[in-house]
Amino acid sequence: MITVKLEPDGKVIEMSDTRSVHAVLNKLQLRSTMAIVVRDGELLTPDRMLKNGDALMVRKVTSAG
Amino acid sequence: MKCIRCKAPAHVALPSHHSGFCKDCYPLFFTKQVETAIRREKMFTFDDRVLVALSGGKDSLALMLELHLQGYDVTGLHIDLGIPDSSEKARKKVENFCDLHGLTLEVFEMAKWGLPIPDVKAHVKRPVCAVCGKMKRHHFNRIAVEGGFDVLATGHNLDDEVARLFANTLRWDTAYLSDQGPVLPAAEGFVRKVKPLFRLSEFETANYAFMKGIEIHSDPCPYASGASFTGHKELWGELEHRSPGQKFQFYQSFLKTGKPAFAAMEKETGATLAPCAECGSPTSAETCSVCRIKAAVRESKAKDAG
Ligand SMILES: [Zn+2]
Ligand SMILES: [Zn+2]
Repeated sequence: MITVKLEPDGKVIEMSDTRSVHAVLNKLQLRSTMAIVVRDGELLTPDRMLKNGDALMVRKVTSAG
Repeated sequence: MKCIRCKAPAHVALPSHHSGFCKDCYPLFFTKQVETAIRREKMFTFDDRVLVALSGGKDSLALMLELHLQGYDVTGLHIDLGIPDSSEKARKKVENFCDLHGLTLEVFEMAKWGLPIPDVKAHVKRPVCAVCGKMKRHHFNRIAVEGGFDVLATGHNLDDEVARLFANTLRWDTAYLSDQGPVLPAAEGFVRKVKPLFRLSEFETANYAFMKGIEIHSDPCPYASGASFTGHKELWGELEHRSPGQKFQFYQSFLKTGKPAFAAMEKETGATLAPCAECGSPTSAETCSVCRIKAAVRESKAKDAG
């Protein structure tokens, strides 16, 4: 299970059978340059693999205006 | 993925540059893009005094920090719009940021000037965002001119520029298409305006802001409908995904090919400017639109009171 905290809304989602950052973005219907993905304070590229129990922060980058 | 410079594991992947960077090398990439923008577009030099418009969002703060780190003479200017709750938060964020990095900051308060934005919303029938934007530009320019600054810098990034250009193109708005760009030269009563982040996407700025510890989450303005350009940005996000680099190319080609043609067309019809009778800012009318709005709000308020 991977826990994903979505920013800026603060929603938390749990995902199973999700092995890579790319897969997380796909499930969220986000392109790789539309959000930054952080694990333990570090940015991750889409090809990075995930392990069970990982907690991610996914933050959309589009600012209003 | 490995860093293209040092082969360490990459932290940022940039499809449009066919590359990835680690956390040590990414800021170097960012710095290079800003340096290139400033140099190629002749934005300013180390002798110039630069006023940076700080909204509190990631882009303007990232810009301020980067210019400071590059050694430019920068002063921040924040406009406190006087919107309950929202404005205090934005102002606090800007103040804390400038304190932390030892940066000079000026704050201009719309309420003290006599026109907090909630009054605009209550007494002006036009969309509040358009009027607010006009007010901000007016004061940014006025304060830059009065303070003897050589140039006003804003944090607009490539996505902002492309979304605006796209909107102007959809309307074939010749006036805007004739002078949109990363540099707006100084003119009678107007300071030069520059956008040093125009080569960088929102994603690229967001990564930099995160690495530099700039808290990138910022609350949207409570008055904004949220619609402004967001749809265009999403469309362009898809185009960019299908063919990385498209966004920058669209903008660059406009600057090279489109803009000069529109500028030539506009040249014939340009209005002559004279100082506003009230505030002295350049305007094509007797009194500038900002002073007219201020007067209209004053009258509307008086009517409500009496
Ligand atoms: Zn590196
Ligand atoms: Zn005026």
